[in-house]
Amino acid sequence: MVDSPLERFMRKQKDKPIDMLQGTLDLLILRTLLFGPIHGHAIAKSIERTSQDVLRVDHGSLYPALQRLERRGLITAEWGTSENNRRARYYRLTAAGRKQLTTETGKWERLTEAIARILNPDREEA
Amino acid sequence: MRWWSELRYVVKKLNRRRAERELQEEIEAHLEMETREKIADGLSREEARYAAHRALGSVALATEDSRAWWGFGRLEELLQDLRYGARMLMKKPGFTLVAVLTLGLGIGANTAIFSLVNTVLLRPLPIAQPEQVVTLNFGVPGRGVFPLIGYPEYTDYRDRNQALAGLAAMGMAPVGLSNNGINERIWGLHVTGNYFSLLGVGAALGRVIAPEDDLTPGGHPVVMLSYQCWQQRFGADAQIIGRSLLISGRNYTVIGVTPPEFRGTELASSPELWFPMMMKPGLEVGRGPLKGRTSPVSTIGRLKEGVSWAQAESALNLIAAQLGREYPQADKGQIVVLTQPGLFGAAMRGAVLRFTAVAMGVVVLVLLLACTNLVNMLLARASERRREIAIRLAIGAGRSRVLRQLLTESVLLALLGSALGLALAYGAVAFARFKLPVVFGFTQIELQIDWRVLVFTLALSLLTGVLFGLLPGLQATRPDLIPALKNESTLGGYRRSRLRNVLVVAQMSLSLVLLLCAGLVLRGLQRAQQIDPGFNPEQAVEVSFDPGLRQYDRERGREFQRQALERVRSLPGLQAAALTAHAPLTSGESGGKGVFIQGDEPKTATQAPIVLTTSISLDYFRTMETRLLQGRDFTAQDDAQSPPVAIVNEAFARRFWPGENPLGKRFNFTTGKWIEIVGVAQNGKYSSLAEEPESFVYLPMAQNYESKVTLIARGAGDPNLLTATIRKEIHGLDENLPLYDARTMLEHMDLPLAPARAAATALGGFGALALLLAAVGVFGVMSHAVTQRTREIGVRIALGADSKEIFKLIVGQGALLVGIGVGIGLVVAALGTRLLANLLFGVSALDSVTFVGVTALLTATAFLACYVPARRATKVDPMVVLRQE
Repeated sequence: MVDSPLERFMRKQKDKPIDMLQGTLDLLILRTLLFGPIHGHAIAKSIERTSQDVLRVDHGSLYPALQRLERRGLITAEWGTSENNRRARYYRLTAAGRKQLTTETGKWERLTEAIARILNPDREEA
Repeated sequence: MRWWSELRYVVKKLNRRRAERELQEEIEAHLEMETREKIADGLSREEARYAAHRALGSVALATEDSRAWWGFGRLEELLQDLRYGARMLMKKPGFTLVAVLTLGLGIGANTAIFSLVNTVLLRPLPIAQPEQVVTLNFGVPGRGVFPLIGYPEYTDYRDRNQALAGLAAMGMAPVGLSNNGINERIWGLHVTGNYFSLLGVGAALGRVIAPEDDLTPGGHPVVMLSYQCWQQRFGADAQIIGRSLLISGRNYTVIGVTPPEFRGTELASSPELWFPMMMKPGLEVGRGPLKGRTSPVSTIGRLKEGVSWAQAESALNLIAAQLGREYPQADKGQIVVLTQPGLFGAAMRGAVLRFTAVAMGVVVLVLLLACTNLVNMLLARASERRREIAIRLAIGAGRSRVLRQLLTESVLLALLGSALGLALAYGAVAFARFKLPVVFGFTQIELQIDWRVLVFTLALSLLTGVLFGLLPGLQATRPDLIPALKNESTLGGYRRSRLRNVLVVAQMSLSLVLLLCAGLVLRGLQRAQQIDPGFNPEQAVEVSFDPGLRQYDRERGREFQRQALERVRSLPGLQAAALTAHAPLTSGESGGKGVFIQGDEPKTATQAPIVLTTSISLDYFRTMETRLLQGRDFTAQDDAQSPPVAIVNEAFARRFWPGENPLGKRFNFTTGKWIEIVGVAQNGKYSSLAEEPESFVYLPMAQNYESKVTLIARGAGDPNLLTATIRKEIHGLDENLPLYDARTMLEHMDLPLAPARAAATALGGFGALALLLAAVGVFGVMSHAVTQRTREIGVRIALGADSKEIFKLIVGQGALLVGIGVGIGLVVAALGTRLLANLLFGVSALDSVTFVGVTALLTATAFLACYVPARRATKVDPMVVLRQE
C-alpha cells in the first residue's frame, strides 16, 4: 500500500501531544489579570477553575509566559503578601497589556468562529 | 516606548543572581500554596508535596525556559560560545600556541604589506578635497608620458584651460642651508603663488606663500619651513617668523611653517623648505631660445566643480594641440594624461602598483598556507572531538548551532592570531620606517598603522577564521552519529583524510612557488654581483658638492672645482681622481637629453631620442677604470674655445651608426652647436644594474659646466680614511660648502641592489616559513594515515610483508601527494615568476639551477616528514593489532 503524503502527515500528528496553541496562554493570562493584580498560583488556579479543569497550567509554561509578557511590557510584577502571609509576586496588567488583550480577543474570536464554521458547515446554513 | 520597557526589563535581569532567586522564590511559593491545598484535601504533607510537583511539572524546565527571556538572545549565545571556545583553547595550550603563531605570522605579513599599500595608494593626501586634485603628465603617444613640463608651457596651460579651478607648478631643488655653523644640502620646493590656496593648505605658524610672493624673478627672498624642519633644525622656535636664514648664499625671510601632516603632494620627496617659484635659479619665464626645456616643473591642478576627469583631460589635450600648432618645434604631437598625484605621475605609478601587487600576492599565499595548516590541525582535532560533537547533536543541538560554536572557536583563534600579527606588523613597520628611506629613496613614505590597516586586519582575521573553521566544522557536524557515539571509525574517516590529502598537495605547491621566487631573486642577486657595471668600484670613494649652493657663479665654480680636484690629486697614495656631473648608478639622477644626429631628418624636440649624458673632468676614464675602445680621451685642449667634442659609448655608436666608424660623426642636443665624436668608451650600467645597454654620452666639463659634481678618487688604503681626508681638503677651500654622499663606491653600488636584497630577504623568510608549514602538514597527514591503516598494516605483516615493503607502502603514499603538489607548483611558478623579471638581473625566470635545487630541497624535506611515520608503521606489532579486533 502506498503512503500518501497526507497519511504520513496524519500519522506524525497522532504521535505528538496536543499543545496549547502558541499565544493562547498569553491571552488567557492577560484576561485573568483584567480583574486586578494576582500572583502566579492564583493565575494558574483561575484558568483551571474557569475552564472547568479542561486546561491545566504547569510551571513549565506559566513562568516562561510571565517572563515573556513582562519583557514585552504587557504586564508588570511586584512583590506583595499573599492571603496566607507569604511573599508572592503580583502581576498587574499595563495599559499596553489592556490594548493587547482587546486586539488578541478579537482575533481569537474571529479564529474560533472561522474554525467552527469549517468544522460544522451545516450549522452555518441553518 | 516598547523597546524602552523591554530594555529596562533586560537591564533589570542583568543581575542574574537576583532574577534567579526571585524566580525560585516565586515558584517555591506557588508549590507551597499547591501543597497546602492538597493537605486541605486530606493528604499527608509529604504526599501533598509530591502531588504538587506532579501537578505543576518540572521546575528545572520552567526556570530554563524563563531564563531564555532574560538575555540578549543571539548575543548571549555568542558570549557563551566565546567563553566555551576560550576554555577549549586553554585546555590545549600546545595546539593553541602553534595555531596562533602560524596565524600571527600570516596575518602580520599581510598587515605589514597592507600598511605599505595603504600609505602608497590608499591614504588621501592631507589637503582639501584630494579627489579633485590631479597631476598632469606630458609626452608623445607611444613614448611614455612624464609629469614634467617647461615653466613657460605651464603658464600656457594654466591661463588657457577652462576645466581646472587652478593649476600650480612646483620644482624640487637642493639648497644649502647654513644654520648654527652647520652647512647642509637639503631639499627645497619652489612653488607657484597659487600652490597653497589651490591645495587648501594653511600655515601652522605665520602665513603661506601667496601670489604676491611670486611676481618677479629673484625678487622674493621668502621661505616657509616644513614642520619637521622647524622642529628638528630650529628647536620649534616660536620666534622663527621674520628671522633671516642664509640659504644657498642668500638671505631669506621666514614667513611661515607648514602643518605637521603636510609634506608636499609627492610621496617620494618631501621638501624641508618652500620657496616662491620666482626664486628658482635659472627659471626661464618667457618662451625664449631655450623653449622652457631648462626649467622643467611638475604641475598639479584642481578640477572645477562638476568637471569630470575625462572632460578635463580632453580639454587639456585641445590646448596641447593648439600649442603644438603655435610652437611646432617644441610641442608638436604632445598629449596630456591625468594621473593622481603622489607617485610622480604615470611614470612611477605602474611600477609601484606592480611591486605592491607582487608583495600582496606573496603574503596572501603565506596566509593561505597558514590557513591550510590550520584546517589540517582542526580536522585532526575534529576527529578527536567527534564524540563530544556527536553527543551535542544527539541531545538535540541543531547542526547550525554546533557549527556556529565551532566557527566561534576558529574566529577566536584568528582574532588571537591577528593580535599577534598586529604586534609583529608594528615591529616590521617600525623597522621599515627606519630602513625604507635608504632603500627606496622615498622620504615621505612614513608607514603608519591607521584605522584602514586595523579594519583590514580585523576583516582578514574574521575571514580567515571562517575560512579555516568552516570546512572542519562541516565535516565534524556531519550527522552520522551512531558510529561516532560508539567510537567506531567509519568511512567518514576515509573521506576526511582525502580532504587532508588535497590540503597537503595545495601546501606543497604553494610553498614550492614561494621558495622558487626566493631562489630566483637570490640567483639574481648573485648574478648582479657579477654584472660588469663598466667601471671598477673597488678602492674608490666619492664625495658630492655643489658650489652653486654657495652662490658661486660659473667662473668661480669652475675654479673651485679645479682647485678641489688639484688638492685631492696631490694627496699621498692617491692613484687618480676626477669629477663627473652624474656618477653612474646614482638613484634619482639622470642627465637625459634629446639628441639630433647630423644628416638625419629634422625632428621636433618631442620626437628626439633621449640619451643619458654626463660632464666629466680629465682623467675620468682612468679613475673609473672604464676602457676607451676607440679614439682618444679628452685633453686640456678641449676647452670652451675649441670645437665641441664628445665621447660616446658603444651602444650609442651602434644605435646611430651601426656598422660605421663613429669617430668624426656629429650630433647635437636639440639646439646648439654640433658636437664631434672623438672617442668610444665601453658600455656600462648607468641607471640600474638590470638595464639593457643604454646609449651614453660623455662631455668634457670644460665645455659643459655643471655646478653639482661628484668627485671620485681611487687610492690604496682605508677608503673611509680617504673620504675623511677628501672632505677636509675641500673644506679647506670653503668650510661653509655642504658636502654630501661621501662614501666608498662599493657602498654606492649597494644601493641599487637594496630592493632586490629586501625582496630576497622577505621572499626567503616567507619561503622558509612556507617550507616549515608544509613539512608540518605532510607529517600530520602521514601520521594520521599510519594510525588509520594500522590494522591493514598489521594484517600485511601477519601475512608476511617485511618492514621494507611496509616502509615503501607508506612513503609511496606520501610521495604521491608530494609529487602532485610539486607538479602543480612547478606549473604555477613557471607561469608566475616572470613577474619578478626586474629583480632578476638577467637570470631567466625559468632558471634551471633554481628550479632543480628548490624542488630537490622541498622533496627532501617532504621525505623527512614522511620518514618518521613510515618508520612507525614498520614497528606495528601484528599480534597487538589483530587482538584489538
